[in-house]
Amino acid sequence: MMLPIDIRPDKLSEEMLDYSRKLGKGMENLLNADKIDTGVSPRDAVYKEDKLVLYRYQAPEGVKRNPVPLLVVYALVNRPYMTDIQEDRSTIKGLLATGQDVYLIDWGYPDHADRALTIDDYLNNYLDNCVDYIRETHGLDAINILGICQGGAFSLCYTSMHQEKVKNLVVMVTPVDFKTPDNLLSAWVQNIDVDLAVDTMGNIPGEILNWSFLSLKPFSLTGQKYVNMVDVLDDPEKIKNFLRMEKWIFDSPDQAGETFRQFAKDFFQKNGLINGGIRIGQHDISLADVACPILNIYALQDHLVPPNSSRALAGRTSSKDYTELAFPGGHIGIYVSGKAQKEVTPAIGKWLNERS
Amino acid sequence: MNDDWLSLQQKYWEQWADLSRKAMGAQAPATNPWENALDQWWKAFAPATPDLPRNFMEKMMEQGKMFFRMADTFTHNLPQFGGTATDSWSSLNKSLDEMQKAFMGGEDQGNQALHKMLAFWELPYDNWQRMMSSLSPIPGDLLRNMPHAPAQTVDKVLSAPGLGYTREEQSQYQDLIRRSLDYQRALQEYMSFFSGMGMKSIQRMRQFLEGLQTSGKVIDSARGLYDSWVSCCEEVYAEDVQSEEYARIHGHLVNAQMALKQRMSIMVDESLGAMNMPTRIELRTLQDRVQQARRENKHLRKELHSLQLQVAALSGQEALATRPGALAQSAAAPAKRTIVRKKPVSATPADQ
Repeated sequence: MMLPIDIRPDKLSEEMLDYSRKLGKGMENLLNADKIDTGVSPRDAVYKEDKLVLYRYQAPEGVKRNPVPLLVVYALVNRPYMTDIQEDRSTIKGLLATGQDVYLIDWGYPDHADRALTIDDYLNNYLDNCVDYIRETHGLDAINILGICQGGAFSLCYTSMHQEKVKNLVVMVTPVDFKTPDNLLSAWVQNIDVDLAVDTMGNIPGEILNWSFLSLKPFSLTGQKYVNMVDVLDDPEKIKNFLRMEKWIFDSPDQAGETFRQFAKDFFQKNGLINGGIRIGQHDISLADVACPILNIYALQDHLVPPNSSRALAGRTSSKDYTELAFPGGHIGIYVSGKAQKEVTPAIGKWLNERS
Repeated sequence: MNDDWLSLQQKYWEQWADLSRKAMGAQAPATNPWENALDQWWKAFAPATPDLPRNFMEKMMEQGKMFFRMADTFTHNLPQFGGTATDSWSSLNKSLDEMQKAFMGGEDQGNQALHKMLAFWELPYDNWQRMMSSLSPIPGDLLRNMPHAPAQTVDKVLSAPGLGYTREEQSQYQDLIRRSLDYQRALQEYMSFFSGMGMKSIQRMRQFLEGLQTSGKVIDSARGLYDSWVSCCEEVYAEDVQSEEYARIHGHLVNAQMALKQRMSIMVDESLGAMNMPTRIELRTLQDRVQQARRENKHLRKELHSLQLQVAALSGQEALATRPGALAQSAAAPAKRTIVRKKPVSATPADQ
């Protein structure tokens, strides 16, 4: 019977040489690689407050605009250029193509002077001011909001506090039930003394968050992917795409300590969106106070926010117009994969245009 | 066959070594095969390489070596590689047994390739060390190899009360040592858990290979072998880190590190205070007060803007959207005048 491993010495030697050749060629391409740019669609900064910048994307010519603008609320974790990472992989570009008038909040990089910022400051000051700015600019009572991941959880909280300012709400890969059995991150957070961590560190460094995310699949994410990369080292464009993604993965802002404290304790440990008990400023948060149309998009292979965590939103709001969209991909693929460009952004655009 | 293999290896190495010698202007040849050849080549390029490509290449070199070590581990017992195993399956079993022994600490320390290959299971630990090192002035490995004294003896010593003027200081140092030891225990527990997962992954690999044989499929490249090993490791990892035991170990590791760091920060703060310099605690008090003052200021500005809009509405005038944080509008999106509604829109505060 044949052995399951049949590696011949000559073939192994050839493989080694091939690997080395590719590394050599890759070195040349890496040295010749241009500066890594992130964010490709033209935009203008229209509002600033502290480290926050609100951008408005320039509309493509010849596309009929949705009269209700769309505000993209990204997570505090990682950077929002993921939504516009490269020319042929851009959620923002796709939304513009469907006629959305897109605004996006860049929260910036908090430093120690921002340690005392709370979720109340982020939602009832920064986010609310951006919403008011857009409402005033367009002369509207309510606008559309697209919340991404943690930004989706924040958007749900914001809408529950200020429903009159939100016309339609789209949430993407958003955790709602933080204690589904397949939620590894949540399982790990349960035994962390959050108060001790925040009291000790002040802000929570981005490196700690990176470590947590990479620990979800350590061998693939910190080992195998670099071996796989060798195969495309002879393609300068693919190298650039890889480096762009690598930059995004490790470009993790620190988290303002008091915001992290409340998010980790109330959302992760107490599962407050499901069990109640989240208080932001003067508001008790209840998903039942969210009444506008909702489009809930989740990724079926999401290893960060399991699909069941997002699906838990169904039936918990008072919205009479609730739609779900399951995407066959992962947490990042939902923005950057070719499939997402064809399926997800057109679906969001269509859904919004039908309701604006 | 073995001679052929060695000859090929040698030829390969000589080519690389020759290239690298030329690149470096060095005359001395390296002493090991492909791994050294790669190292030599890289040493020639690395100093002149910018940070980003250098980090990137180092990761690929590291992982490249890993998958050739993997091939080495699995093939060195095969007859075509000069192994002594009597039949093919027994050669694979021998390799798997050696891996298992190495995880249990019973393998000959001289088997460098095997030990380096098994270091693959240290990736998660390595990630932790790199992350903590980036946040701490203490090198990540400081506590890893520190002798582990029996907890009871140490606790007894550390609970001895201090006396006189240095009582508080002594108590702080005792607490620092106590926390260091707790962190060391947490680290060992963490590593021991990973060692257990490593053992399971070898068993999983054995099952995987048996399954392959049943289905008549064959792995014919080092890369294929590496990918299969990664899959087995990732499978075992995914199963085990979902357990309550791992959540407890993970929590203990993070909490123990934070507790240690906290004690160190307090001691640093006390030293700063003694030198009449601002301390972290004082800065945090100031940060809290400043943030509270800004919060109130922003709230008042918001109310003021709201009142301005109401006044404008009452006087029948249009109010410009003169939000303090607003910037010049883009050509693509000219600013509109705000229509003042009966229901006032809240105002935005300015940057402080």
